[in-house]
Amino acid sequence: MSIELQQEIKIDESFYKVKEIRQLTDETFSLRLPKSRFNYRAGQHISLGIRGDYQSREYSIYSGENDDHLEVLVKEVKKGYFTPKLSKLKPGDLVEVSGPFGKFRIDEKKIADHKFVFIASGTGIAPFRSMVRTYPQLDYQLIHGVRYGNEAYDRHEYEQERHILCTSGDKTGKVHGRLTTYLKKASFDNNTQFYLCGNSNMIFDALEILKDKGFERDQIHCEVYF
Amino acid sequence: MKYHLITLGCQMNLSDSERVAAVLEQMGYVRTENEEEATLLGMLACSVRQKPIDKVYNKIAQWNRAKDKRNLITFLSGCVLAADREKLLKQFDLIFQMSELAQLPDMIRNYGVVNAASLQAPKPVMPKNEHIADLWHIKPKYQSTHEAFVPIQNGCDKFCTFCAVPYTRGREVSRPSEDIIQEVRHLVIQGYKSITLLGQNVNSYGLDKNGQEITFAELLRRIGEYGQTSGEEFWVYFTSPHPQDMTREVIEVIAEYPCLAKQIHLPMQSGDEKVLIKMNRRHSMDKYRRIVADICELIPQATLFTDIIVGFTGEGESEFENTVAAFHEFNFNMAYIAMYSPRPGAASYRWQDEVSQDVKKGRLHKLSEAMKIYTRKYNESLVGKTVRLLVNGTDRKTGFSTGLTEGKITVRMDRKAPELMGKIVDVKITSAADFSMSGELVLQEETVNS
Repeated sequence: MSIELQQEIKIDESFYKVKEIRQLTDETFSLRLPKSRFNYRAGQHISLGIRGDYQSREYSIYSGENDDHLEVLVKEVKKGYFTPKLSKLKPGDLVEVSGPFGKFRIDEKKIADHKFVFIASGTGIAPFRSMVRTYPQLDYQLIHGVRYGNEAYDRHEYEQERHILCTSGDKTGKVHGRLTTYLKKASFDNNTQFYLCGNSNMIFDALEILKDKGFERDQIHCEVYF
Repeated sequence: MKYHLITLGCQMNLSDSERVAAVLEQMGYVRTENEEEATLLGMLACSVRQKPIDKVYNKIAQWNRAKDKRNLITFLSGCVLAADREKLLKQFDLIFQMSELAQLPDMIRNYGVVNAASLQAPKPVMPKNEHIADLWHIKPKYQSTHEAFVPIQNGCDKFCTFCAVPYTRGREVSRPSEDIIQEVRHLVIQGYKSITLLGQNVNSYGLDKNGQEITFAELLRRIGEYGQTSGEEFWVYFTSPHPQDMTREVIEVIAEYPCLAKQIHLPMQSGDEKVLIKMNRRHSMDKYRRIVADICELIPQATLFTDIIVGFTGEGESEFENTVAAFHEFNFNMAYIAMYSPRPGAASYRWQDEVSQDVKKGRLHKLSEAMKIYTRKYNESLVGKTVRLLVNGTDRKTGFSTGLTEGKITVRMDRKAPELMGKIVDVKITSAADFSMSGELVLQEETVNS
């Protein structure tokens, strides 16, 4: 007589298998994870760890609330500690996800009668893609500052007239130069809500420009990348 | 069987240590302050700065040397980063998260015995608080007979760039409100006079429960209502709130109920908009200003405390001057000012610590001087007035009793009155200094008879 033993293997529910990696440029890629049990709001972020490592980093969620996967946007920092490890992940590898966190979100009550201006540098576009995918009715403008045109990640997803690509290193964008140069010249309606995401220097400069234009601090929402 | 417990860091760790003590004493251990006579040696670590973690490494090296002479079991809990936990696992006999405290007796009994639990896979890097309720169910062994801490929430979701708490304590989890109110009631019945609701972000209380738990304002209201019916005089404080989640309703409730202490600790960290963004504080100076305006309007008698970091990365002279200006604007009654030091595990640890130590010291001194103008002015405004005072200590030099006002300002009394320890009495303020006052006991019939 033999007794069949069924060993229960409990995988911690914070671990996710990498579903897909989309290489967007030489340095930038997106990680897609199964969405199944993860609920989030557009604009929120997660803490991401690699199994067996002892550090984690925060990433804004790149996918929309209704997408069938959870996606983050990563730019590899060649001499960094964490992103080179992320860049080596393959489908099936386990990552650890904690969250979602944060209140960098659209106030749904304002969607009907407000305009939204999203200002991003580099991978700071991530929460805005999530918002645009989640709220198709948004009256938005996306001002995206990058060095080269190939860093306009998934640009085909945005309506052309709403997407202001500012490229400082080539002339492939609608605007040649930094996004702050565009921002200084641009005019916006009084009922605009501004969302800023990216490195702190861009946020400082953009914040000053918007305040100089007379917008209240409460209309300006900031998410700094660090 | 004796145990020795070292607690490093904040009030949260102190509160946790009361629960560790309760568990160990239920096992039959007796506390000793002399570690040489203990057979169980434990530490509650703090990862907020490097210094306490260095102390953990030094102490465990010392304890492991002592193992040559006697049988010892060592354990570690508290705030420990994953990288440190991995290194320290080899040195401590037991390392556990506070949420696993209920299992500590089993861990001690089974120490050295190979069993299924000891063969489990490594735990996730990011601490999880799913079993934190087990910790809250443990009745603490309070270290004071009149002042107590009541944890209401654990963990942090805010990710301030200077802080590692989200990586050591995990995400925010709120304790059931019924448990909190019951513990407060129990303390009041036991005669406690000062009760502090504790959490990393107390006013985010309930938000993690998605509508299944009451808000922080409602929690305060229910405690306030209990205070109305209890017939006891006691003061309930809370620390620390985050400006992001501070509402006018919270301040309205504090104004309404006498047992909710008229003292608010509202960490500002910097008075400069850009530094706040770099710190990822997620609130503007305008938001902070509105909260203080609400406090001044609704609770004009309240004292206002804050936390400040000077010399954070990106804080130049002009940014620092904005913090100085904020001191002149808000007239804090107390500011806990820290010189920035990069904390391992925090995001800012990866940035250059660009402000020199001398400049940080200079800024700390300048802010302290600015603060003194207003602390003294406030204290002087009370001279000649009679205030309620919780007698809670003894002046080292004179041996006279000391206490705290409801606003948490220290008052030195004019006499030795050990019989009043833990009681709230009337004191007439006779003189004021920068950070304290002196006062004489107002003898009342109940005081004379006590």
